[in-house]
Amino acid sequence: MTTTLADLERARDIAIEQSGWGRRFTFYQPRNFAFWGYLALVGTGVFIAAAKLTREYNAYGQAIALAVTSFAIYAALFWWFTQHIDHYAKLPAKLMVVAFLWGGFAATFAMAANANDAILALYAKAFGQVWALNWGAGLAAPFTEETAKGSGLLLLIALAPRQVRTAFDGFILGAFIGLGFQIVEDIIYAMTSAASQFGANQIGASIDTIALRMVSGVAAHIVYSAIFCAGLIYLLGRPAEPRRVGRGLLLMGTAMLLHGIWDSVGAIAGDAPLMVLVLIIAVIVAALVIAVRVYRSTVARERDFVRDVMSPELARNVITAAELEAMAGNREARKAYRKAGRNRSERKRARYVLNAAYDLGDELAAARGADTDRVRFARAEVGRIRSGAPSPW
Amino acid sequence: MPDFEPDEGWVPADERLFGLDRRTIGPTLTVFALAIVMSVVLPVVNAKVPYNDIVKAGDVIELDGNVTFVPEAGWGITSGVRAGHAPSSGEYPATATVENGDVEFRVKTGPFDGDADKLLDQIETTSDALNRGRGVHLTGAHTTIVTDQGTQGATARVAGPHTGGVIAAFVFNGRGVEAVATGPSDTGPDPTAAILRMIRSISRPGEGNQ
Repeated sequence: MTTTLADLERARDIAIEQSGWGRRFTFYQPRNFAFWGYLALVGTGVFIAAAKLTREYNAYGQAIALAVTSFAIYAALFWWFTQHIDHYAKLPAKLMVVAFLWGGFAATFAMAANANDAILALYAKAFGQVWALNWGAGLAAPFTEETAKGSGLLLLIALAPRQVRTAFDGFILGAFIGLGFQIVEDIIYAMTSAASQFGANQIGASIDTIALRMVSGVAAHIVYSAIFCAGLIYLLGRPAEPRRVGRGLLLMGTAMLLHGIWDSVGAIAGDAPLMVLVLIIAVIVAALVIAVRVYRSTVARERDFVRDVMSPELARNVITAAELEAMAGNREARKAYRKAGRNRSERKRARYVLNAAYDLGDELAAARGADTDRVRFARAEVGRIRSGAPSPW
Repeated sequence: MPDFEPDEGWVPADERLFGLDRRTIGPTLTVFALAIVMSVVLPVVNAKVPYNDIVKAGDVIELDGNVTFVPEAGWGITSGVRAGHAPSSGEYPATATVENGDVEFRVKTGPFDGDADKLLDQIETTSDALNRGRGVHLTGAHTTIVTDQGTQGATARVAGPHTGGVIAAFVFNGRGVEAVATGPSDTGPDPTAAILRMIRSISRPGEGNQ
């Protein structure tokens, strides 16, 4: 059977419609109840955080300044990485900011912190202080924190139903919610450490905590939330992601289990530093391996969208088959495409052509497949870069 | 696929409820319910459940850095653990609190370079910075207090809008200890004998007579 350009364009339209790729996100939606819910809970969190920070800055200013600066750089690196892995049917940056703020303020101060304190105290009353110190965190935080962070995704879906369409979208937004949570929690930990020597030697008291949190944070809230939120999308189902309850619950449970084990490392390993170290490394490795597997399984649908959106461009000879494979492929496929160049100049140009083709994909999605001036310009750019002509702009 | 796509603020006429998009009400109420459970229900339940970890004669509370004190029999332990019952990690917590009615006795330990007077000054500086003249603050001059072990510490009164009490500071070879007892200000300015007994019971192995 011969596939015509019209067939390919129809498939492209469906892919753009299903993926939500290229759709703009408007935060201000006064007729959307989720907008008010988000504003109320994030606003409450911001108020509590500002009150805490203002009060404690006077006493622990040095440690707070160090923690905020360090974790801002740390957050920027993670922000770049998380956005970097979302280069297929991209989510709007504004949506990621909204997710980050939910994790940083609503999930922490307006929700989980209150619940954690209460549950830990209840555990101590029911099972004793020692039991609560051993197992309290591991049997409180996974439930309170993962649900507090994950509930943000419910609001994000209600705020952006046209953009949040796949489990991969849940994975990326979950990572940003987790990043916000992680950064704020890290700053709070640094403040607590600053108080551990009665307010003296603040930098010395908090620097170890900051370093430890940076290392352990590689596979903490960001990863747990990414897995949990991918699972939540499977559980709920979305227009481009059929409901798969079992898979959804499994992923959500896995995120909670990883979180629980992480918070119980001291209790499991006991008073054996080597065992603690082994367990910490094992949990980090397990979390990263699971996150990579979830990424690979969820990203497949996004790659199919890229293929569907760009296939008509292959039929029009705007891009080559190798470029389409690289665009819709994984990192190795893109690397192989670039390395196919005979010399350094060709390899460099291949990279530029690929970037220009991704730009074309973004323009096509934003134009919903229409042949607009911007789309024609993006097509022309692919040709110009391929020919080696300099940019007139 | 329709050519025109309405903006995100548009709500279909058959999905409006008091002008709101009814499809967004369910998820938002779910999140609100979760927030209320976490921030209201659980703290209220916790407040309603009483402590029943009562100190028995002979109990000793241990804190990080091998610091111990003897709580008064009959008081309730609200945080901290007894000596010999360390958590699995082997590390005792840095704070412990016992309560008797409205009176609370809290002990905190941490590394500190300096003597007891310097520690009390540091605590005052930090407390003033946190409270900015409001809340509980140190009042009056430092006086000396000696533990049963023979370690010399510094003590001062603390006062707040409706709170009064005493604070004591000790330094055991680089390990600072802060003990604060607070209660309603109408119970009188002097620490009770029970409070003084708990403060004087603070000790650390291998210390004393400093």
